[in-house]
Amino acid sequence: MTGSRRSPRGGLARLSRDIWKSRVIYMLVLPGLLWYALFVYAPMGGLTLAFKAYRANKGIMGSPWVGLANFQNVFRDPTFPKVIARTLWINLGRLCFEFPMPVLLALMLNEIRMPRCKKVMQTVMTFPNFLSWVVVSSVLTALLSMQGPLNSVIERLGGKAVPFLGNAKIFLPMLYVSSNWKSMGWSSIIYLAAIAGVDQEQYEAAEIDGASRMQRITRITLPNILPTVSVMLILAMGGIMSGGFDQIFNLSNAATKDVSEVLDIYIYRITFQSPPDFGFSMAISLFRSAVNLALLLIADRGAKMMGGSGLIG
Amino acid sequence: MAAASKPSRLSYRLSRARVSYVDVIAVAFAALLTLAILVPFINVIAVSFASQTAYYNNRFMLFPPEFTLSNYKELFKDNRILTGYRTSGTLALLGVPLNMFLTVSLAYGTSRPAYPGKKLIMFIVLFTMFFSGGIIPLYLLIKGMRLTDTLASVILCTGLGTFNMILVRNYFYALPDSLMESAKLDGAGEWRILLRIALPLSLPILATVSLFYLVDRWNEWYLAMIFIRSTKKTTLQLVLRSIMLVNQMTNAIQSATAIDQLQRFDIGVRMGAIVVTILPVMCVFPFLQKHFAKGVMVGAIKT
Repeated sequence: MTGSRRSPRGGLARLSRDIWKSRVIYMLVLPGLLWYALFVYAPMGGLTLAFKAYRANKGIMGSPWVGLANFQNVFRDPTFPKVIARTLWINLGRLCFEFPMPVLLALMLNEIRMPRCKKVMQTVMTFPNFLSWVVVSSVLTALLSMQGPLNSVIERLGGKAVPFLGNAKIFLPMLYVSSNWKSMGWSSIIYLAAIAGVDQEQYEAAEIDGASRMQRITRITLPNILPTVSVMLILAMGGIMSGGFDQIFNLSNAATKDVSEVLDIYIYRITFQSPPDFGFSMAISLFRSAVNLALLLIADRGAKMMGGSGLIG
Repeated sequence: MAAASKPSRLSYRLSRARVSYVDVIAVAFAALLTLAILVPFINVIAVSFASQTAYYNNRFMLFPPEFTLSNYKELFKDNRILTGYRTSGTLALLGVPLNMFLTVSLAYGTSRPAYPGKKLIMFIVLFTMFFSGGIIPLYLLIKGMRLTDTLASVILCTGLGTFNMILVRNYFYALPDSLMESAKLDGAGEWRILLRIALPLSLPILATVSLFYLVDRWNEWYLAMIFIRSTKKTTLQLVLRSIMLVNQMTNAIQSATAIDQLQRFDIGVRMGAIVVTILPVMCVFPFLQKHFAKGVMVGAIKT
């Protein structure tokens, strides 16, 4: 408070007094910070492997530096550009077919005027989000297999059985559908919370002015939740190079492996299934993380430039 | 979601009686999604209690025509499911207390008014949401600590969830300042404020987050797949995965060599495996759902 008259010495003394006063708080945050240091930041240090040739007997620190050799190998690898293209293509699809769905669902749920009924439906919708992709893919495989229940209905109606999960051509739509099936209900909660925060007077004024329900949705509700949508979109941009490992790992099979190998799956395969070259894998991982972070920051800037609310600051 | 239904009740107070096409579309959309989720689960449960003949008569059954436990008897013949239950149960039992300890202490510490280094601590925490070293260095770390093939590897690596920590932090942050200030004036230290004021007032979020963690530990498979080799320590999710995959293979072999399927109804056994895997989540879910307060999510997306 009396900062203007304080000498540098006094500042230091005050700082140490403040630190001493907060000693209990430091004790409280210490275990958590230690955990971050050991299990998140120490592995981040392992990213240096991207510039090293890993020798198991020497460990991460002792392995020799090789400069950009790993990256040269990555960019020379014929599979790499294909995997990148596939990842971007799948995630572009996710932005188009997965991202808007919870927004749409939230808008719809907000229009339902039967609270009991709505509550039951919401309970059901949020449930699959709490299951692992192992379980979800098991349920969906059972439902969608060639001799499965859904195909039995299709056949009874005179149609031909569809290999829903065994056809490379429809694998991507199946990814989007199954993702929405699992998490659309849960993701809509964020938007519902945003809708709940909309100022009610706006609706009342619109009602008096004779706005139709559709107009109220598009002119009041939607613009009011746009900041939330923008934040979620920025976050989604930060995952453009990754995402969907659990889903694709569990849903793909021999028939669809040519269209389903995204970057994360590729990293897993070259690391844990073939004789591993950790330097090579790490170079790809670092590339992925860097692109994700860069896109997140760009999207954040972009959102702010367009007058929207950003994520950071 | 009582909170979310309030505005609609208010805003349509005037036009309550009229039913417009908006109502029809909204209800139809929501009902369709609900059925698309509900029906497959009901089918899975029904088939797990049905016989093979019943299944081939009506594969889309929502109720078994005659009730049989033979699939479950077959499923529990080997010890795999029990092993899975033991492993995943241990992960939850040891993991969730660790999760809650690390989460609550860090959340409280970062929710307090400004102190030297607070901004740095928040940066350290939030940065991990956007950047990570990936699985390989983590694997090498676990190997270096000689923790491969132990449950400790998974428990330690999943010690804290940044998102959950922020949920708790925001809740602490939103508690009325006056309470803490007056406690401070009465001479209460941080420990007292945490234990006597913050924690008792935060029971809903603490319940929600511990259930989030519980479900996460129960659903663990990826790290366990990479760190743990011995079949005695397989998590339930991986047991289910192997049952689904192995039975698919035996099905292929059986149909290829035209061996009749003996007494065993493979699909029924698999559906039974799904049911026993999701059963605990189904039991916990109603409590979890009860606590979705509107504030729980909204504060989380912007920190």
